[in-house]
Amino acid sequence: MTEADRLSAALPGLRPADEVMRLERLGSLHATRLSFVRTLVRQMARQRWRISRERFDLDANGHGTAIYRLQTPHGRYHGVMFAQPLEDTQRSDRVIAEAWDVTFGLVEGDVDDSLLAQMAANVPLQEAGRQHPRVLVLSRANKSLRNFAHFVEALAAGHQPDPAWLTWVGYLYRTTAVYGNGKFGIADFARLHDNPDFRRPFSAQMAGVYLLRHFSIEQVEHLAACRAPDTACGLATELRRYLGIGNSTGLGMAPFLINHPQLIAQWIAQRETALALAMRQVPDETDRQRLIDLTRRAMCHFEQTVTEDADQRERNAATVAALPDVLNWLANVPLAADLWWQLVEWGARTLSLEAQELVNTLLIELYPDPIDSLEDHMGVTENLDLAPDMPLMHLRQLIETHYGWALAHDYESVEGAWWFWYRSAEKEEPRLGQRHLEAGAEKEMPIAIGPRVARTHHAIRAFLDERPRASVVDFLLEHPRHKEIVRRIQTLVKAPYGDIHANLWHRDMKPMHLLRTKLSFFGASRFDPKSDRWVRITLFQGAPLVEELNAEPVDLGTFDDWSFPLEPGMPARDGAPFACLSSRSGVMVK
Amino acid sequence: MNVSYNELQGLCRKAFSGIGFEEGDAADAADMVAWMQCHGLHGVEQLNRGLDFLLEEDPEALPRVIYQDGDLAVLDGQSQSVLRSISLATELGFAKARARGLSVVKIRRCHNRQLIMGYLSRLAGRGMNITAFWRNAQIPLTEQVVGFRAGHATPEVRVYAVREVPEENEPNDGITLVMANHVELLPSLGADHDLDLLAHHPESELLACRQQALADGIQVDDAIWARLKTLAHRILVESSEASRDGAGAGINDND
Repeated sequence: MTEADRLSAALPGLRPADEVMRLERLGSLHATRLSFVRTLVRQMARQRWRISRERFDLDANGHGTAIYRLQTPHGRYHGVMFAQPLEDTQRSDRVIAEAWDVTFGLVEGDVDDSLLAQMAANVPLQEAGRQHPRVLVLSRANKSLRNFAHFVEALAAGHQPDPAWLTWVGYLYRTTAVYGNGKFGIADFARLHDNPDFRRPFSAQMAGVYLLRHFSIEQVEHLAACRAPDTACGLATELRRYLGIGNSTGLGMAPFLINHPQLIAQWIAQRETALALAMRQVPDETDRQRLIDLTRRAMCHFEQTVTEDADQRERNAATVAALPDVLNWLANVPLAADLWWQLVEWGARTLSLEAQELVNTLLIELYPDPIDSLEDHMGVTENLDLAPDMPLMHLRQLIETHYGWALAHDYESVEGAWWFWYRSAEKEEPRLGQRHLEAGAEKEMPIAIGPRVARTHHAIRAFLDERPRASVVDFLLEHPRHKEIVRRIQTLVKAPYGDIHANLWHRDMKPMHLLRTKLSFFGASRFDPKSDRWVRITLFQGAPLVEELNAEPVDLGTFDDWSFPLEPGMPARDGAPFACLSSRSGVMVK
Repeated sequence: MNVSYNELQGLCRKAFSGIGFEEGDAADAADMVAWMQCHGLHGVEQLNRGLDFLLEEDPEALPRVIYQDGDLAVLDGQSQSVLRSISLATELGFAKARARGLSVVKIRRCHNRQLIMGYLSRLAGRGMNITAFWRNAQIPLTEQVVGFRAGHATPEVRVYAVREVPEENEPNDGITLVMANHVELLPSLGADHDLDLLAHHPESELLACRQQALADGIQVDDAIWARLKTLAHRILVESSEASRDGAGAGINDND
């Protein structure tokens, strides 16, 4: 049993899966201090990682090659960036794109001329190339053209860009895929099993994105200097820090969530354990004040968050509107040992799901000790194993106890079987089709677990009528098509946060919730849906800079305090607890 | 070409789905091939040899139990590849060994038998001691024995030739599995037997192969890879203007 398992087992206060795993709630999660960008930054600071520029061969248009060295106590890595010209007609964030403004890889070890040549020939091709097995992460990004142009123009003229541009769109580049784990020939994640730097899930990917952020700053400064060497200035520290990296994401995240249920269960179990640990802390006045301060900051952050999506805008507005009540509650309820329990219970009765989960995120933020130790337990060995000797009657009972949500849906109705999920022949892009209108349902990806559980349950009941003392393997030898779902159920009753309690076929199902679930664990902020199945987010906005990391920070607590970043020059005002200074809450044309 | 373990596993899974395997069988078969390949046991070559059979197999002809009692089971593999659904026959042996301490399962009439090692690795990882035995050829008579220690996902493999062939030497296309809950069943050849050891792969050697595969990637023949891709393509839905909207995104992102 791991330390995290012991913590989880010792905490009776974990919320039930039937509450946590509802799709609407998962789609309301926010990044926490356990999110991968946060844990990476803490790890880098704690272990004194150093980042240095090894090569910066860019022409006056910013095109060329840059290499950054990442030195840890255990190893050396290099981020290799290829910036190239791109026709506007080719700039697409979709997986079906074939060229990008910048492509890059994070490499384990040194990059000699031979490896660089191999990467130069293949990394820009992304999926169409054959990548080297020492490449840990393969990615690409497109420019935010307006931000790029504005930043170069302002810096070239010798003044700082308007920070509002970064509030509207918080980056110069947005990635459109960040590949790890063996894709297109790069290193398998299993290779990192014993690597103390990157054995946590997605930590190598996040490190690659962090290096891209640094490159974007250096590239835009380089362009300004090339354009106007006599007048150009560098980007101010506050703006550098406020600059993140975007990510544009579609339905591809949904299959991952379904196909890695033990990993998802582990992530959510750690988050729920963190929440339970926070709730059982006995707060003092300092804790209460800290939570008030964090709530104010989050309120301003959401008030400043801009999205064209009406639904998300409404959700952000509802959160902002609810937080004054939270602040009032915090200011007026007497300090008690169970104050945080009271807060969460009060929130469950009165707040929207997004506001509830924001309060949970902020509570988790309060207690680095003991919560940060959970970050080492985000990984898991994935094996959906059969228990063939289990009495079939027991399996039936398990399904009825733990998968009631799956048995409750009507999968025969038109509404209940509206969508089907599939991969297109066009670069295997995941798509959604309407079952009764579009071709291809016979090639459906089986990611809707609910109907499969219901079908298996039906078959088990019929089998038990004939053979009530049968075992699971007796059943499967006659009905082998149910093997996968049976072993999934048998495994996940022990990891109950693994399955999402929703009918992913249903007409009202919102794919956006699936995307947000995963992105929240990455540490995404500024959710900006472009449709109900396509979203842009920002990573690392507000994060410490490379030069701050290299300066070996002493106060790691302050270094780590960068959640819910605010526009520079517009801090949450002391003494004005219920109002943010920003008036920017409408739709901005980007 | 050089591919990663995950890439090989992923493509095989899609190819098996393209052939028509049920999802669980496709995942198991892909694991078996990739496991063999990364342990230096030529899983892709084995698959390639059996691929034409797989494409012609009747998907409904699944392993059938001929006889079973508490300790013993005999199944008919219906002359199919072990890749299709043999995992359940091994799970039957696992269940019996768990209940009774030791089990014997005989699977008659199956091919691609080498590949069963990939699934037995999972059972061993779940705490079962396993010996698998089969004969590869009649002239000369060769036998293969594979032994897993409980909790060890990597076996020891021996292949040897029997010098004194018994008079009754009927073709044998089956596998015998012995599983024991508590007792180790490692293959060891007594010095006084009249045998020629043709190959010996200790656990350490196979583990070293795996490490190398993870470090350097896995070499796969281009033609086989292309064939697997063609099979994998069968699970994809042809694109259309309407389906492009199904991703929910725009086409151009110049903003």
